[in-house]
Amino acid sequence: MAGDGSFLVEDFINAITTQLDRVQDALRLKAVNRPLTYALKDLSLDLQVFVEVDGQGHVRFRTSGPNETGSSTVRLSFTTITKPMIEENTISLAMTRSPSLDEIGLGEQEQKRLEQIGVHNAAQLQRLGESTGARAVARWSGIPADRLRQALQQSRPQLTKVKPEPPAAPPKMPPPSSPKVPGPPPLKRTPATVARPKRQAGPPRDLPPPVSRPQQPATPAQPVAPVSKDVIQVAPDTRRLQLFGDNLIGERGAPQVFLNRQALDLAEAEDDRLVVELPEELAGGTLEIELPDGQQLTYELSVTNGTDPWIP
Amino acid sequence: MPNIELAEMLVALVEGVQAPPEAGLVITEAEMDVPLEVTGGVRNGELVIFGAVPHSRWKSGVLPPVHLGRLRVEWTPDA
Repeated sequence: MAGDGSFLVEDFINAITTQLDRVQDALRLKAVNRPLTYALKDLSLDLQVFVEVDGQGHVRFRTSGPNETGSSTVRLSFTTITKPMIEENTISLAMTRSPSLDEIGLGEQEQKRLEQIGVHNAAQLQRLGESTGARAVARWSGIPADRLRQALQQSRPQLTKVKPEPPAAPPKMPPPSSPKVPGPPPLKRTPATVARPKRQAGPPRDLPPPVSRPQQPATPAQPVAPVSKDVIQVAPDTRRLQLFGDNLIGERGAPQVFLNRQALDLAEAEDDRLVVELPEELAGGTLEIELPDGQQLTYELSVTNGTDPWIP
Repeated sequence: MPNIELAEMLVALVEGVQAPPEAGLVITEAEMDVPLEVTGGVRNGELVIFGAVPHSRWKSGVLPPVHLGRLRVEWTPDA
């Protein structure tokens, strides 16, 4: 709401719909205990407002004040619709997951030009480009085609890292509860620090000799071969795998992950992180990831030796 | 008059549609043209719409203008 009392049209309509949702919820609650109830089917508001356009090109309403003349009458009508009608007349939720025009590096003026032709995010820009061609979009929006292609490249799904999920920490067990018995008054507690005799500076103490290990033949130092970045090493008890990246969830949904051509279940799916469930009997093999835009990435899943270092 | 949210006003209007119990009537549908003083305010950073009945039916130079609201209320026996 601006200082002059004006507000954006979309904010105003959102506020009205919020009020109407509360009305519907209140009437629904009444219906729990009352056999006869009513529903608000339509609401129409004839508003006396002054319509203004701010510096950014947004339309704003300002309700007329006392004794003000010359206001416009804006009629807003609201009606109830069912869920299938909403799904028919609005864009899919999957489409809204796509990065916004701001996130793919387009400036404010470029975003406005694209919004004028109905493009609000990268998925819609991609879809328009596929159907009409990048040059047509560039002509209509006034944005160079190379600029559009560069922006679309940033919106493509990218996988940056794959690693096993660390095991969850065991839940802390609460201390066993004992029946409260009135006891003696609490004693004064001494500070937690324990006084120790001051150690005089001197030669270091003799440490116990190290554990003897079998002598290995002396070999010249050789550089350790680095593990290939396409090889993912997991412990035998690993149950989940994490995939990190950007724009992982597209219009067609989340990526599909296969291990040895067997589809893995998706435990969690976010735009920058996926978690897949590994099979119970984990064996190494080829890990294939198909991204929403059709890219296929291949990794080698390697199960490390299962020897427990704590076993004597 | 304190600011009344539009939702509360609309719920009150819908509840007012019912006929008195001794009348033996059931109202199945109602259309109402209601004058409202519609204003907007900001609460916790959100725009909130208030809608109250006008202070007076007389036009004055100090009271906010009156807007017209039309409601259609229907009986919902399967609610």
